Amino acid sequence: MAQVELKNLSKKYGKVTAVQNMDLIIPHNQFLVLVGPSGCGKSTTLRMIAGLEEITGGDIFINDEKVNDKDPKDRNVSMVFQNYALYPHMSVEENLGFSLKIAKVKSDEIEKRVTEAVNILGLEDLRSRKPSQLSGGQRQRVAMGRAIVRRPDAFLFDEPLSNLDAKLRTQMRTEIKKLHQKLKTTIIYVTHDQVEAMTLADRIIIMKDGYIEQIGTPIEVFSKPANVFVATFIGSPPMNIFSAEIISSNNQTKIKLDENIYFDCNEDQKNKLQNIKEVYLGIRAEDIMPVDNNLNTGFWSFKKNIDIVEPLGTETQLFITINNKETICRMYNPYEVNVGDELSFQVDPRKVHFFDKESQKTIF
Amino acid sequence: MSKKQFQNILIWTSAIILIILIMTPGLWVVLTAFRPQVDVMAKPPVWIPRNLSFNQFETMLFGGSEGSMGRSPVPVLSYLYNSIVISFTSTFVAVLVGTIGGYGFARHNFKFKNGYFLMIMLTRTIPGISLSLPIFILFSKIGIIDTHFGIILVFVALNIPFTVWLTDGFFRQIPRAMSEVAMTDGCTKLQAFWHIELPLSKSGIASAGIFAFLISWNEYALVSNLARSTDSKTLTVGLMDFTAQFTINWPGMCALAVFIIIPALILTFLVQKHLVSGLTFGGVKG
Repeated sequence: MAQVELKNLSKKYGKVTAVQNMDLIIPHNQFLVLVGPSGCGKSTTLRMIAGLEEITGGDIFINDEKVNDKDPKDRNVSMVFQNYALYPHMSVEENLGFSLKIAKVKSDEIEKRVTEAVNILGLEDLRSRKPSQLSGGQRQRVAMGRAIVRRPDAFLFDEPLSNLDAKLRTQMRTEIKKLHQKLKTTIIYVTHDQVEAMTLADRIIIMKDGYIEQIGTPIEVFSKPANVFVATFIGSPPMNIFSAEIISSNNQTKIKLDENIYFDCNEDQKNKLQNIKEVYLGIRAEDIMPVDNNLNTGFWSFKKNIDIVEPLGTETQLFITINNKETICRMYNPYEVNVGDELSFQVDPRKVHFFDKESQKTIF
Repeated sequence: MSKKQFQNILIWTSAIILIILIMTPGLWVVLTAFRPQVDVMAKPPVWIPRNLSFNQFETMLFGGSEGSMGRSPVPVLSYLYNSIVISFTSTFVAVLVGTIGGYGFARHNFKFKNGYFLMIMLTRTIPGISLSLPIFILFSKIGIIDTHFGIILVFVALNIPFTVWLTDGFFRQIPRAMSEVAMTDGCTKLQAFWHIELPLSKSGIASAGIFAFLISWNEYALVSNLARSTDSKTLTVGLMDFTAQFTINWPGMCALAVFIIIPALILTFLVQKHLVSGLTFGGVKG
């Protein structure tokens, strides 16, 4: 159990800034996911917490104790690496027990804890195997077991699933979540996969270019993205973003998407969009719904021809073009549609996002 | 006959011819060691030996008996002692220092790193023999001529660059995450090196060791200048003891040559497994 705190943390490589003035408190038992595109500083942050990377500025506290100058071995955190990094010359058992052996724990205690970890992770039959004799998923399990055995204050995961195939990844994701519920330990988890982030996290941090773009629960960052970047990064497919004009005349405010698509603003939107000429309008694919004539009152609607149809079984993704921009819509309860068909679409005005054209930050 | 079969035959025949070409001098040495001088000097050469004997080895190791070639016995055991002390010590030191150096180059960044590396490698381009005179003068000035220490020093200097190069390649192949995970597992840097990185690169270190050993064991030119007496003469230099003013005791010389080859062969066989994987795995990526 541990609270990890970052105060004004920075990391520079020469002139390049990897992490910029990061402030963060990760409470006991929280499953925190750092997510962002490659090069955003998420792994660097994790490595600084582990003590593998020197910090350029700021402080790191683990359980209120400043650990800036402590060696990795004295921080009592365990790290699971992307490429597993199992010791190839040791058996599974030796891999698991290595940290305890180094810590000069008695051999019967080592045996006890290794057995415990082996049972948690279902590795009973593999104890004497060498890493080269294991499959990817088994290796990943051993890597986690190695972290568990130490009983660390916090677990650090650095893209642990990205070397696995899609099916195994989903399975291991669930196992990691179960593990967290069982161990009740602080976990800091780095990934570039937003689905992993959403499914695992108690709290998500979205990073870009060394800055934190948004912190929140999965639902918060999904439903109330702080800016265009978060809006397009979280959620699959990414949110459709349109460059839109705001046209006010005769006490009416309209949003112009392209030559043929105008949406009427409601009172609330009208007030908030006063004195604004241009915005980015964000609409998620599932909020652009094809309808057959039964328009919901108050919903916006437009007609478009379909460019591409992608049936996925439970839903069908439709691609249309609005203002020269490829736009994805989701059709639940799909019925047969063909490329070229003209369909009516409706949009719930309460579910759209307005972003400032200049700063790309959310207006509302 | 298919093309593939033809290719196979071609490969095998050329391989066999090559092997014979390479092995013949060695076989001739072995053969000569077991034959009397008359046979050796015979013209035309005697291809198939008429009688073989261990006389030369007996004389070499236990002193000449009446009726043998009648030469003063060569102090082979002293030479053997010198060879062993010099080769093993220089190999040990070279591998120790070279491995640390290789690790440094593989894992750490410092100013002029590539320059240093190149410089170390460049020392290998200087033919050892061209150094023999300067070394001789220097060593005689500081009084370490004809000592184990002096010769060991030369071999260590000779072997470190290669060891650095070979082990550097090996350490590079070990993912950095390996030592990092060891450190989060509670190891100090040194423990991570000792428990994880060192065992993982043991093939490379074994290869480096055997090369260093063979170079020291077989070296002749430099040592023949630096060793003046039985205090430091090695086996290879001892070969020259079989030449007199007008005659050369070929069988005796060859017997000693065989005696020199055997330990090197045994050692190479022992680490052969590592050697092969070493050269294919670590050596390629320099």
